[in-house]
Amino acid sequence: MGDKRRGRGFAAGWYGIARTATVDRAGAWAELDDGGTAKVVTGVTEIGEGILTVLAQVAADELGVRPEDVMLGDNDTSRTPEAAHAGASRQTYMIGNAVALACREARGRLVAEVADHWGVDPASIVTRAGAVWARNSNLRMTMDEAVRLCKGRGVVPVGSGTFASQHTGLDPETGGGRPWQAYVFGAQIAEVEVDTGTGEVQVLGVWAAHDVGRAVNPRGVEAQIEGGVVMALGQALMEDYRLKDGYTTTPGFAKYVLPTSLDVPRITSVIVEDPDPLSPLGVKGVGEPGMVPTVPAIMNAIYDAIGVRITSLPATPEAVLEALRGTRDRQPGNAAR
Amino acid sequence: MSSLELDLEINGRRIRRTVPAHMRLLDFLRDELNLTGAKEGCGAGECGTCSIFIDGVLMKSCLVPTARVQGKKIETVEGLARRGELSPLQKAFCRTGASQCGYCIPGMVMAATAALRRNPHAGMEEIKESLSGNICRCTGYQKIFEAVALARDVMNGMLPATALDAEVLGDTFVGASVRRLDAPSKVTGALKYAADMTMLGMLHMQVLRSPYPHARIVALDTAEAEAMPGVEAVVTHRDVPGVDGFGVFVHDQPVMARDKVRYVGEAVAAVAAENLDIAKAALARIKVRYEKLPAVFDAFEAMRRGAPILHDTARDNVVMHIPIRRGDVEHGFAESDVILEETYRTQAIEHAYLEPEAGLGYVDQDGVVTIVSPSQNVTHHRHALSRILALPINKVRMIMSPVGGGFGGKEDMIYQGMLALAALKTRRPVRYVFTREESIVATAKRHPFVVSYKMGVKRDGRICATSMYMVADGGAYGLSTEGVMRKAAILAAGPYNIAHVRVDAIGVYTNNTPSGAFRSFGALQSEFATESHLDMIAERLGIDPIELRRINGMRDGAITHTRQQLDSVSLMTVLDAVAKAAGWEAGAPTVRGETRSDLGAAGNRPPCTLGARLKTRETRDSWEVA
Repeated sequence: MGDKRRGRGFAAGWYGIARTATVDRAGAWAELDDGGTAKVVTGVTEIGEGILTVLAQVAADELGVRPEDVMLGDNDTSRTPEAAHAGASRQTYMIGNAVALACREARGRLVAEVADHWGVDPASIVTRAGAVWARNSNLRMTMDEAVRLCKGRGVVPVGSGTFASQHTGLDPETGGGRPWQAYVFGAQIAEVEVDTGTGEVQVLGVWAAHDVGRAVNPRGVEAQIEGGVVMALGQALMEDYRLKDGYTTTPGFAKYVLPTSLDVPRITSVIVEDPDPLSPLGVKGVGEPGMVPTVPAIMNAIYDAIGVRITSLPATPEAVLEALRGTRDRQPGNAAR
Repeated sequence: MSSLELDLEINGRRIRRTVPAHMRLLDFLRDELNLTGAKEGCGAGECGTCSIFIDGVLMKSCLVPTARVQGKKIETVEGLARRGELSPLQKAFCRTGASQCGYCIPGMVMAATAALRRNPHAGMEEIKESLSGNICRCTGYQKIFEAVALARDVMNGMLPATALDAEVLGDTFVGASVRRLDAPSKVTGALKYAADMTMLGMLHMQVLRSPYPHARIVALDTAEAEAMPGVEAVVTHRDVPGVDGFGVFVHDQPVMARDKVRYVGEAVAAVAAENLDIAKAALARIKVRYEKLPAVFDAFEAMRRGAPILHDTARDNVVMHIPIRRGDVEHGFAESDVILEETYRTQAIEHAYLEPEAGLGYVDQDGVVTIVSPSQNVTHHRHALSRILALPINKVRMIMSPVGGGFGGKEDMIYQGMLALAALKTRRPVRYVFTREESIVATAKRHPFVVSYKMGVKRDGRICATSMYMVADGGAYGLSTEGVMRKAAILAAGPYNIAHVRVDAIGVYTNNTPSGAFRSFGALQSEFATESHLDMIAERLGIDPIELRRINGMRDGAITHTRQQLDSVSLMTVLDAVAKAAGWEAGAPTVRGETRSDLGAAGNRPPCTLGARLKTRETRDSWEVA
């Protein structure tokens, strides 16, 4: 029987937002619609991260409606403007900003008509959560009325937006270049318990601090960090797609082991907001960077607990036991190389 | 084929149907009754997406023959929210944001319902055990646990029912945790993924795949399969009218193998038939004669002279080599007090999204070739398909169906080309749904890396030089290897000020399953090496690992390894934030786990001891709703 030993490990990381070393761009259309609702149409790719909700929040604030008033038309290459793929942690940054710009144009059309109708400076007009008013006045109407007024004057309040992130290619010899304009940074601490008899590693807690730029939906940000941490935990401890002479020996979930509810740590996310200065919204991204520090944080925690450096992933019970055997007669603090 | 007179109760209604005797309950629910809330994730009882109740007992419907449920009462996720009123658990899932892609969620809601029906006072450990047969790949389970605990407390009267309502919002919304707009459709099973969709006159596709890792196709004869009654078309590379080849960065994978196959599981031919049984039978009638070729399964061996060559366009088997050069590393090592070398290895990983690939293809009334599929990258797919079909871009339409998890794995156009060719050939809608095994064998993985690391530091902790030589197995086709090498290389040395940096990232062709885009795209692998290495350096120098990052970390105005100036660098803020959140006890990482004072803080879960709940029945625990 072995005993159970605990330890903690630390790791940091960084990541670039949007497509690497090439110009990234996204487009969107917006319309303030009847009943004070809104349409936003963009080739966005919701893969579960919650980007549609994020865009509805952005559109709601920019237009002056509520998120539930926003109808999102999403990815159909014949019906929506190009906004490209779900990847590179790019959608909140690229498409969020494109939607904001489209909404600003649509709102501008509406506000110009309302201001002219009231005889006030367009800059004095506020649109918020379904209401329209002029500052320092009693002039006020609903968004429903404002859209009707606008259309009655012959204007459909539509707008389009295009947002670019200007990146340059890398020099083929030195790698010099400007691959991204927005960078994020993160750091994590993992606490583990290692059973020295079985080699089993349990990750009990992970603390994850990540700069995401301005956080549009904090709960959604946490969810991305939590999902990323657990996916990385799978890579750290159990997942292993194996091939023998080109034939997989892990063809299903009985052989390819995934983290379940019993394997996951408690995760504490700390959201750090360092707004991006180069874009209208100040947002950045979180889809991928949340998983970057997790694997080394766990490996460093295993070392802290039992003095074994795992340098080949994953740290399965077999691998941990093997490493423990190899280091038993060495000095502590000078473990496996 | 024998049939069965079925008489049973489903969601409170009596159902009588005649079905084939061998039919699985999952297919009966989905195909006969249109109850598509139960999903097929693995077909082997391993993932839980098809969970339902039979006479009140939670079961995986993919494992149950329909004959076994004669006269029984079945409850599916569609039965939980009768007349549109969500159950408390479904509301709680919406409230906490427990659904992301949503594909596992109907099954997860059923498992959670079972847990609370069995024990309305279940503690968190018991809840976790009850959910352990259901895999979720998106959420990390945290918000699911929170949802179940919330529903439990509301159902027990410990929290008011209003605790399930969406958060009260002000009049501005950016910065607020607005409830996911798509949550209700996911917790009720109402959302239709590609495999849940049908079209009138739809054909079913099956794909013949390579049995060899590397072989020349000497003969490919589809005549016998095409002649079978019920087979509408067999498509091969011969049906490709345009320039064949897909891949996000490197377009070297043909829609179906031409001349040769380069990995086990590569598509060779596809059949479109009236039903799946006919399509499967037709695959056996396609005659392919292969001449086996020498194969290579190791990236280093593939780079050696004389190794088997996969692609004529890369005689050295190198897909892409990205170098980063800054300063002079030899000079940096010479001025270092301590030099540490180590080799790191990472493995291939499967994306394991719960939704296997699926799609529909059809040609519309205006001759527009249309593909509905859970693609992460329809913009790229339309360009690729337009080239492959030699059609103008406005005659190709890609519609994204709800994506049941992607993580990079649904960026490449693995099967949409076959659907397009079959739709063009038959002029009928064609649907193709992968099995889990097909998804695993045919689609890309995370690149395995070998990183040879050398770092030189001063005694005070300052990094003088970093050298990283990284070789990655790209597998049989280029896909995203170029991009993965680039991101891995740029970020490899970490967010640290280092005067002398030499990084090489080399992606190599082998006859393994192709590697492709995978969440964090090479950075996970290269930064794993750097962050492990820094821990060893910290130990050697007797410096706290966070302090070591403070000594070297980039700050506002820093110059990156690619010589870009960064105006705003939040690294110091995140270092302080994580140390504070975890209550980190500073000290060098010298295996001091046993003596640390910061262990066991709030924010840990208890260690897992299976079966413990059988001895002690907890009624409450520390899991609180935020």
